[in-house]
Amino acid sequence: MAASFPWASMKAFGQEGATPLSKVERKNKAPVSKTVLQVKIPKPVETKLKNGLAVLIVEDHRFPAVQAELRLRGAGALFEPPGSPGLAGATAEMLREGTKTRTSEQIAEELDRLGATSWAASGFGSPDVVLGASGLSANFDAWFALLKDILLHPAFPAHELARKKQRLKVQLRQQRSSSGFLAEERFSRAVFGSHPAAVVSPTAEAVEALTPEALAAWHRERYSPRNSILAIAGDVRPAELIPKLEQFLGDWRTAEVKETLPPNPAPASARKIYLVDRPDSVQTTVILGDIAIDRRSEDYIPMVVLNHLLGGGSASRLFLNLREEKGYTYGVYSSFSALEYPGPWRAGGNMRTEVTEGALKEFFYEIRRVREEKVTDGPLEETKRSVVASFALSLERPARVLSFALTRKIYHLPDDYWDTYPAKIVAVSADDVQRVARKYLNPETLQLVAVGDGRKIKPMLAKYGAVEVYDSAGAAVSAPPL
Amino acid sequence: MRILPLFLAGLLSLPPFDPRLLAQTAPLEQLQKPSAEAVEIPFQEYRLKNGLRVVLSEDHAAPTYSLCVTYNVGSRDERPGRTGFAHLFEHMMFQGSRNVGKGEHSILILNNGGSANGTTNVDRTNYFETLPANQLELGLFLESDRMRSLNVNRQNLDNQRHTVQEERRQNYDNRPYGKTYEAVLDTAYDNFAYKHSTIGSMEDLNRATVEDAADFFKRYYAPNNGVLSLVGDFKTDEALALIKKYFENIPAQPPPPAVDMTEPEQKGERRRTLEDAFAQTPHIDIVYKIPPGNTPDWYALDVLGDVLAAGASSRLYKKLIKEKELAVSVSAGPHERRGPSLFQISISARTVDGVPEIEKIVYEELERLASEPVAEWELEKVRMQSQRQQIESLYSTRTRASLLGQYAVYYNDPRLINTVLSKIAQIANDDLQRVGRAYLKETNRTVVITAPKAKSTPVSK
Repeated sequence: MAASFPWASMKAFGQEGATPLSKVERKNKAPVSKTVLQVKIPKPVETKLKNGLAVLIVEDHRFPAVQAELRLRGAGALFEPPGSPGLAGATAEMLREGTKTRTSEQIAEELDRLGATSWAASGFGSPDVVLGASGLSANFDAWFALLKDILLHPAFPAHELARKKQRLKVQLRQQRSSSGFLAEERFSRAVFGSHPAAVVSPTAEAVEALTPEALAAWHRERYSPRNSILAIAGDVRPAELIPKLEQFLGDWRTAEVKETLPPNPAPASARKIYLVDRPDSVQTTVILGDIAIDRRSEDYIPMVVLNHLLGGGSASRLFLNLREEKGYTYGVYSSFSALEYPGPWRAGGNMRTEVTEGALKEFFYEIRRVREEKVTDGPLEETKRSVVASFALSLERPARVLSFALTRKIYHLPDDYWDTYPAKIVAVSADDVQRVARKYLNPETLQLVAVGDGRKIKPMLAKYGAVEVYDSAGAAVSAPPL
Repeated sequence: MRILPLFLAGLLSLPPFDPRLLAQTAPLEQLQKPSAEAVEIPFQEYRLKNGLRVVLSEDHAAPTYSLCVTYNVGSRDERPGRTGFAHLFEHMMFQGSRNVGKGEHSILILNNGGSANGTTNVDRTNYFETLPANQLELGLFLESDRMRSLNVNRQNLDNQRHTVQEERRQNYDNRPYGKTYEAVLDTAYDNFAYKHSTIGSMEDLNRATVEDAADFFKRYYAPNNGVLSLVGDFKTDEALALIKKYFENIPAQPPPPAVDMTEPEQKGERRRTLEDAFAQTPHIDIVYKIPPGNTPDWYALDVLGDVLAAGASSRLYKKLIKEKELAVSVSAGPHERRGPSLFQISISARTVDGVPEIEKIVYEELERLASEPVAEWELEKVRMQSQRQQIESLYSTRTRASLLGQYAVYYNDPRLINTVLSKIAQIANDDLQRVGRAYLKETNRTVVITAPKAKSTPVSK
């Protein structure tokens, strides 16, 4: 394959023999400060309450507001028993539908009147339930007390659960109309196989089977301060707040929540092609990728650089190629998820039906190129500079600062992890990028999902291998489309 | 606070500016005064010799800044046969200028740790970037170079036409309810200005010519037709000196023509039903024509929308979702527009059979609002939630820069960033009943129902 680059200014970096595909052009006349702004991510105040709850606080008095997030470790959907998808999420969402002393209506009214808002959820594949809230700092005591009631004394009233089930079942139907959901569902099953993270949605049967007793048991057995982290950011003073938290949450009983992670998902050994037939589609939603790394992997830092270079934004190779040069798509991006267990690297976007084949060709081209050709100094330095410099932007929001601390705590990363993060990014070499590209992005074994007009796109997909066909209900179709 | 923040609006356009009136840069106002509200964003205003309005808000909380250039042009300025043009043109602004290569703008921003984009709505087009504080000159250089010397050529136009057509497919043609909003606009409005969508039609996008683009640029992208707002970590005098260096010698242009926004009074209910191939459940949109944004009636309707549908304690949520279990989601509120606006109630229903009862309940609730005072706690709730939402959005320098620019272009009043909450707080029960009676009535109503299309047989079966 001829070496070619979407960086038309390659000559600026001494690139030889490349025929630029892209019309992207660099004049290099803009005044750019050569210094990379060094920022220090502030460290939050860290403490532990007597009952074992870890607390992180970022003080920020710019505005009279507070954001709080409680991560309940071990209470998430990842640990749902087989056949009960949605139990963790339903338990979380039902917290504010009634407590021992308050009705659903009273909770809604009190929160709204205090200028506060709250939500609770557990994403599929997540080990955690996250209970979030934000509100005006002047009313913090009142809305936090209400939150405490929701967290510790939910009643899971039967009539509210019945209503919730009705709404869930409608939403199950609605989500099947979105090509994005259909692609996500098929891709998760393809890469996660029998791992619980393969599940991305409840089933109607599982929703129907939810009972107040099952929710209460999940809450009783798994909502424990000993495993959990409370993160608070905004207009608070730690010296005043910490005693208050002891007082608010002191009677939260501790339960032993020991969870063993399921066996890690493994990368695929053969390429597979999945078509989800969605009649009337005018675009094809494409996702391709495979299992890569977990958050503590030593390859995490080079993966950040590789992903940024390949599909991490509107200056990435995939974006410049498929959107800016070819005009195939409104947007194309790549990303990777890395949790306690390995998650997938993936790339994708929506392409008009007619150019699905051309788009696939470019995806494979860019993946092969990043494996086969070492990235040159110019683009590598720019990518790393972009990652490091964007750090400064995260300081605008106290909640973002807090999320860095949370990540460090959850994955047991070293205390100086974020202090040394820029230096670690800067240290990534072209060899590192190529090494992780070869290790995790394999065009011969990646999983490819396309949601679109089956009649038109199946022949295009078939050029990459045997095609498994599904309908938009999620069922395998025995007879392939014509 | 309001549904659909995408479709923003207002009443007054900037008065035509004559550059001769301000021969030198002079502060228009310096606002530091404390207000009754919890938050006060300080800022200073200037006008350059060429008419460019400049709003600066220094804030050293984080080592970043956001720059926003808001042009007084949106899809309202399009003519029949050229829908979607203002937005298509927005894409052209990233395709290079005299000293910036095609695509180089985004690359320079991203490679220096920033982020950038542009958005077009019915009433304005804006461009913004957020960058680390040490790259102030870079942002100003990039915005000034394209204001001065955009490259308009056929190759770029064709390429971006394709991208925008993909944007249309992604956001309108390939998703459930994607065509509903266009049907709502087309049915409710009579005047072309707001009757069509910002994305435009495929046919019109194909019709756009290089000459259209060149004319459009000259007419609307002039310094005297824009506002530059800068928020963040810089020194005001140094920033102003740089702004003058990069922008002041860009020539002013004759003010663009005013747009006729007059909308005839509606005399009776309008209804439309569309079939949607992707939708699995029915959707109901009920809209009423109302006055422009930043008017007392508009603020009253904003509060009324929150009483109806903001949060789980709202009237329609309790009635339709909890009590009757007819719907799974509901929202209500006014769009903010500079011209005749819409109050929109949107409901995702469980079944087609439930639609008539949902409508009946909505009209009963509107009738109640027009005839009975709301409870004091409901008003208190709206004020508190508005305050919280505003504060949470203001952490971002980008939001502040966008709001300052938008309020300047829409209402000639960037101070609104500090006064909008008090306008909401002043709304009383009498106002709610008055606007309820004046606008939320049957003759002023448009109802659009999006129904799932009868299943076609999938090709794979």
